[in-house]
Amino acid sequence: MTAPSASGRPAAFGQAAPRKDARLKVTGAARYTTDVALPGMLHAKVLRSPHPHARLLTVDATRARQLPGVHAVITRDDLGGLDAVFGYFIKDQPIVATDKVRHIGDPVAAVAAEDEATALAALALIEVEYEVLAAVPDVESALAAGAPELFSGRKPRGVVPPYGTGASAELWPRPNVCYEFRYETGPDAVWAGCDHVFEDTFVFSRMNHFHLEPFVTVADARGGRIEVWTSTQNPFPLRKEIARVFRTEESAVRVNVPFVGGGFGAKHNCKTEPVAILLSQLAGRPVRYCLTTEEGFLTLSQHSAVMTVKTGLRADGTFVARESTVLLDAGGYTDGSPLVAEKAGYRIPGPYRWEHVRSSCACVMTSTTPAGPFRGFGATQATWASESQIDMIARRLGMDPYELRVRNLKALGEPFMPGESGIDSDLVEGLDLVAAELGYHERGTRPNRGMGLAIGFKDGGGVNKPAQARVKINATGHVFVSAGSVEIGQGISTALCLVAAEVLGLPPERVSYAAVDTDTSPFDQGTNASSGMTVTGRAVQLAAEQARDRILEFAAGRLGCEPADLELVDWGVRQGRTVHPLPPMIAQVFGGTGYEFSGDGFFKAPNSPEAPLDAPCVFWEIGWAGAEVEVDPDTGAVTVLKLVASGDVGRAANRLVVRGQEEGAAVMGYGQALFEEMRFEDGVLVNGEALDYRVPMAEDLPASFVSVSQEQRHGPGPFGSKGAGEGTLVPVAAAIANAVHDATGARITTLPLTPERVHRALRELPGQSS
Amino acid sequence: MNTDHGAGRITVSMELDGRHRSEEIPPHTVLLDLLRDRMGNTGVKASCERGVCGACTTLIDGVPTASCSLFAFSADGCSVETVAGQSGSGEPGPVQRAFAECGGFQCGYCTPGMVMLATALLREHPAPTDQQIREWISSNICRCTGYGMILDSVRRAAELIREEA
Repeated sequence: MTAPSASGRPAAFGQAAPRKDARLKVTGAARYTTDVALPGMLHAKVLRSPHPHARLLTVDATRARQLPGVHAVITRDDLGGLDAVFGYFIKDQPIVATDKVRHIGDPVAAVAAEDEATALAALALIEVEYEVLAAVPDVESALAAGAPELFSGRKPRGVVPPYGTGASAELWPRPNVCYEFRYETGPDAVWAGCDHVFEDTFVFSRMNHFHLEPFVTVADARGGRIEVWTSTQNPFPLRKEIARVFRTEESAVRVNVPFVGGGFGAKHNCKTEPVAILLSQLAGRPVRYCLTTEEGFLTLSQHSAVMTVKTGLRADGTFVARESTVLLDAGGYTDGSPLVAEKAGYRIPGPYRWEHVRSSCACVMTSTTPAGPFRGFGATQATWASESQIDMIARRLGMDPYELRVRNLKALGEPFMPGESGIDSDLVEGLDLVAAELGYHERGTRPNRGMGLAIGFKDGGGVNKPAQARVKINATGHVFVSAGSVEIGQGISTALCLVAAEVLGLPPERVSYAAVDTDTSPFDQGTNASSGMTVTGRAVQLAAEQARDRILEFAAGRLGCEPADLELVDWGVRQGRTVHPLPPMIAQVFGGTGYEFSGDGFFKAPNSPEAPLDAPCVFWEIGWAGAEVEVDPDTGAVTVLKLVASGDVGRAANRLVVRGQEEGAAVMGYGQALFEEMRFEDGVLVNGEALDYRVPMAEDLPASFVSVSQEQRHGPGPFGSKGAGEGTLVPVAAAIANAVHDATGARITTLPLTPERVHRALRELPGQSS
Repeated sequence: MNTDHGAGRITVSMELDGRHRSEEIPPHTVLLDLLRDRMGNTGVKASCERGVCGACTTLIDGVPTASCSLFAFSADGCSVETVAGQSGSGEPGPVQRAFAECGGFQCGYCTPGMVMLATALLREHPAPTDQQIREWISSNICRCTGYGMILDSVRRAAELIREEA
């Protein structure tokens, strides 16, 4: 940790000053991948499967290739020489379909032409013969005996990462299941000592990420090199995957990442990149490939889930054991599903004391849009089940749900599971804050009005995530922070600059965040798991400290004193009561052209065989939510009168950034709770475009929406910080369902809480005529 | 509008951010593509291209309009205002400064459209009620902020405009 400045107050960290990217973004000058244009650039479009599941008999692109203005076409016959499948743990997704199509929208052929209109005209000339196969539209049909298999015969190759005590996983354990994660701790004999055992099943709907900047790539693959500008969250893993698919070295691949117009988890690994690169290779011209919003709906989604939770407890309400079974709908390709399964399965016990836990989470392949990482990453699904059931149990036992939680919550510092790191938030403190803001303990008994609470819980910082950073300072004291963390709107560029400013004793205006490209940026595993502050931020802090130490050493040499006698302040060194400006000292030694001091930093949490996921969690991301609702008994409509959401960021680097992350996440959860979902009928997506797919608008906000930022200061990041951005999404749906239960006595176990669903639940209450 | 060309091209003229612009284009060109691809005004953002999200909002004769869903010829002879015109002599205007100050943006992709929407709102209602702000902002989508800080930004913009009047 750095020494505080002479005044004892941080100079930069913790302000509410405008973000570093404010001016570029409010003036429209910020450059995104959609704005990148290269001379001679062609435009790509893709032919997509109209069938959820079909064998590809013939693909004939002869006429498309002859259309004037067409420069390159890809069908399965054009993949020679490539390792043309990609994926995270499992390599199963082809650049274009080779044997079968596995969801509506699965790419079958691609065209690069002078403009998009010509490319679309060429697609219409491609003749495809399909043998339609039986669809597997949902988890239930995919797991039924004798169900058609999306991947039959030899399975796509994959890996299971190393796990520690109690955790394991298996690839392709049974038909249509690509991955199953399991976790167990404590003796299962304790079930015999339970006074109550409750088992409930929950259904979680799926959302589209709806990032406003579409999936988009500009590729230039001429001259034996591959260069892309792309809207991605993880440039380095993407570079590795591109190098493997195109059978080249990572040094021959350069990934440039301009500003990203929203990701929310969607923009990982290969999306638009392989098609753009291959077309560019074939055409010998740069190629731009930009999806429409409709195509985005066919490319990736959140995981829907079916979850069964069995909980045993003693008569006094003490939790004993919890056994959970999670089935995630992975869609037609595996994408990030194994990782999401690991997290959903691991997190579902919640931050409570258990004597025995057993969880399993299976990724079930269905002939629908592939599912992958989505803000919350399995925790949203798990928390919907876990936190709903806690209220159900409390009411069955005649207890207050708040009391049941407080009785069983883990204390600050207590490990989540054996071998894990300690929980770095005071969970009761956060719950009390939200309960007080809501007026939970004073709530009345007005009919159809009620309140609910919930705690969202996830391990943050990524598993086994390394990050490096570089900080350099020119002769006038202007700082460049280089790291591989991508600015996707979350404010990480601002936060990392504030870390460097704080260490170097410089005002934040002097610090800039360098553009991210894989040739020059320090390595980073990816912009995910709310890891920017606690992993990349630590690397930046260490880099800035090294640079600071080098500056002080240099100045000490010039002044004939010890570095320890000096403090860096406003690009001068303070020695006692005298401040010596650095620029003249630098000019004397390095000449008028100047010099750049620099420092490098690296951070990775250590591994441990005792930790279930191979490394103890970097930090715990907690979200607390409370809701007050009014339910219309005639229509089933739920009105949220007040929503309170709170996260603990340990310490805020910038208050505007933190508030924005917490409110944005909470509203995403609010939409999911009440109305937002991808609707499938007979396995066909029926609202896959902007007009029919309803995301929250300003008019949807609750009459009162309060976000409470906590700074409990127990975080492992710079200056006690933790990550942010996902926690407050996670508990919102359960808090609202718990409030509906409080208001009406009716429990809805399926999301979203639509009027018809609530109305049906009200009619099914004992004593109601049907 | 002049349609007296060969090869089915038309000339569209407009007052773009205060400057006269004239461009010869195929008649089916939509305004968004004219602004972005031919005039280099990439501050206007393309997203849903169905007139729903509002990322491409421009003011046509002062009225907020989805430029993705309007043929360019419809704007012939009109005043067209985009986010690029909101920075007088390079300095951000009051609405832009309010969004910066209040953190009414995150990824920034909806921001140019939100800035234009707020500009039109504050011309019509210089002292808007919270209800009016909510109703107007409800025509554009922001996926990042949860809207609270955008609503703050509009209130702040109204103050800044009044202070500078």
